[in-house]
Amino acid sequence: MDGEKKTYGGCEGPDALYVKLILSDGHEFIVKKERALTSGTIKAMLSGPGQFAEKEADEVHFREIPSHVPSKVYALCMYFMYKVRYTNSSTEIPEFPVAPEIALELLMAANFLDC
Amino acid sequence: MQVDRESRFLRGTGTGEAVAVEEPLLLAELKPGRPHQFDWKSSCETWSVAFSPDGSWFAWSQGHCIVKLIPWPLEEQFIPKGFEAKSRSSKNETKGRGSPKEKTLDCGQIVWGLAFSPWPSPPSRKLWARHHPQVPDVSCLVLATGLNDGQIKIWEVQTGLLLLNLSGHQDVVRDLSFTPSGSLILVSASRDKTLRIWDLNKHGKQIQVLSGHLQWVYCCSISPDCSMLCSAAGEKSVFLWSMRSYTLIRKLEGHQSSVVSCDFSPDSALLVTASYDTNVIMWDPYTGERLRSLHHTQVDPAMDDSDVHISSLRSVCFSPEGLYLATVADDRLLRIWALELKTPIAFAPMTNGLCCTFFPHGGVIATGTRDGHVQFWTAPRVLSSLKHLCRKALRSFLTTYQVLALPIPKKMKEFLTYRTF
Repeated sequence: MDGEKKTYGGCEGPDALYVKLILSDGHEFIVKKERALTSGTIKAMLSGPGQFAEKEADEVHFREIPSHVPSKVYALCMYFMYKVRYTNSSTEIPEFPVAPEIALELLMAANFLDC
Repeated sequence: MQVDRESRFLRGTGTGEAVAVEEPLLLAELKPGRPHQFDWKSSCETWSVAFSPDGSWFAWSQGHCIVKLIPWPLEEQFIPKGFEAKSRSSKNETKGRGSPKEKTLDCGQIVWGLAFSPWPSPPSRKLWARHHPQVPDVSCLVLATGLNDGQIKIWEVQTGLLLLNLSGHQDVVRDLSFTPSGSLILVSASRDKTLRIWDLNKHGKQIQVLSGHLQWVYCCSISPDCSMLCSAAGEKSVFLWSMRSYTLIRKLEGHQSSVVSCDFSPDSALLVTASYDTNVIMWDPYTGERLRSLHHTQVDPAMDDSDVHISSLRSVCFSPEGLYLATVADDRLLRIWALELKTPIAFAPMTNGLCCTFFPHGGVIATGTRDGHVQFWTAPRVLSSLKHLCRKALRSFLTTYQVLALPIPKKMKEFLTYRTF
């Protein structure tokens, strides 16, 4: 992603390629920023004015989401990748499978993340 | 969701975001190659079109008692050059010249209904068939054809051979449906006012007759979870039957005229029915509630002085990801609907359309017309939201009542039961 070379104080600014998603129990997931922006919520959290007060602009804290269902977070990341891959592409879009056992919790997360 | 008419892009705030929505483009049109001598008395309509569940074959009853089976995707010659340039539509017509893999099935009489069985049965079946050579080998992709005099012929797709003849119906077999599970149970709907259940594992034995309809039964559809059977008839009612006990669960009332087409959503949570009364009704099949009605009215009423709305519905079908509907109506339009909106999102001109179906992996809609032609149209490419994907996964095994019993917020329940989008 080539953007302007602006920096804001000590933050990496919009150039950062990766963002860190930090869940309520401290677990961290590093995800390519482009993909994390799939989530309207993450996008808002990364671009709002409040961000620059944080020590590092490329971190997002989710105080409500615990990581005790790791497969859910994995599924979220996979969905982000799927969405970026097939948006603005002319190839046939395959189905994205959701395992029934995590579907309910994943739905809650998807609802919160607006994706 | 908002439709931005200038750019024709749908902005998704709801369930699924269409990547881009443009009017359906005609990809290809196939016309039957006529034999030198044909019987003028037998009709030429394409009453049914169907894709096999794995998307590898397409079948259409091209009139004059012939069913054409062609492998999918279509060969290069049928697709117009430069299709990728979406800004122009182009038509490529071709006579049915026949590639080596095409099959022509001569059914001997008018073909009304078509259905593919899911691919293929478990390997143990093949072993069994080898030891019982006199039994037709149905461990393969088969096509059932519903005929004018009530017979049903079962054909092997790979070879074009006739496998079985099922007798029982006394009148036109208008529609057919296999259970999606691959159990080789076939349901047929007939003008003799009955539906019949056939077991292809047992030489096509008729295992049940479902009576109750008062007029012609026009269509039947089995829910993807194989639990329910829907049938719709001339007396305006829609029946829901249990596929476990073959008994009537409930009747859905609401249409004002003959109901001629029905389809379940891919997660079995929704049922749509189409009628000559110009409406498509969306139902919750578990509770029998009407969720919404889609009115097929004149596109531009200001321009038309006539009071006549010639928009009887002929066919309705769900898209594979469960977010769109395609309808064919007598007002010469193919319409694409997004589930949550009250007006169509796209139109395409189509004369004398009779039937439609989506390609199982999305992207293409096939339609059949009165002159025996089929057309293939581009369908909206959809990248479902994760919310909708989760909903679809959950509803594939949860009934509406089970959803209502979950310990989740009310808004989530409304979303999951398709009351909101």
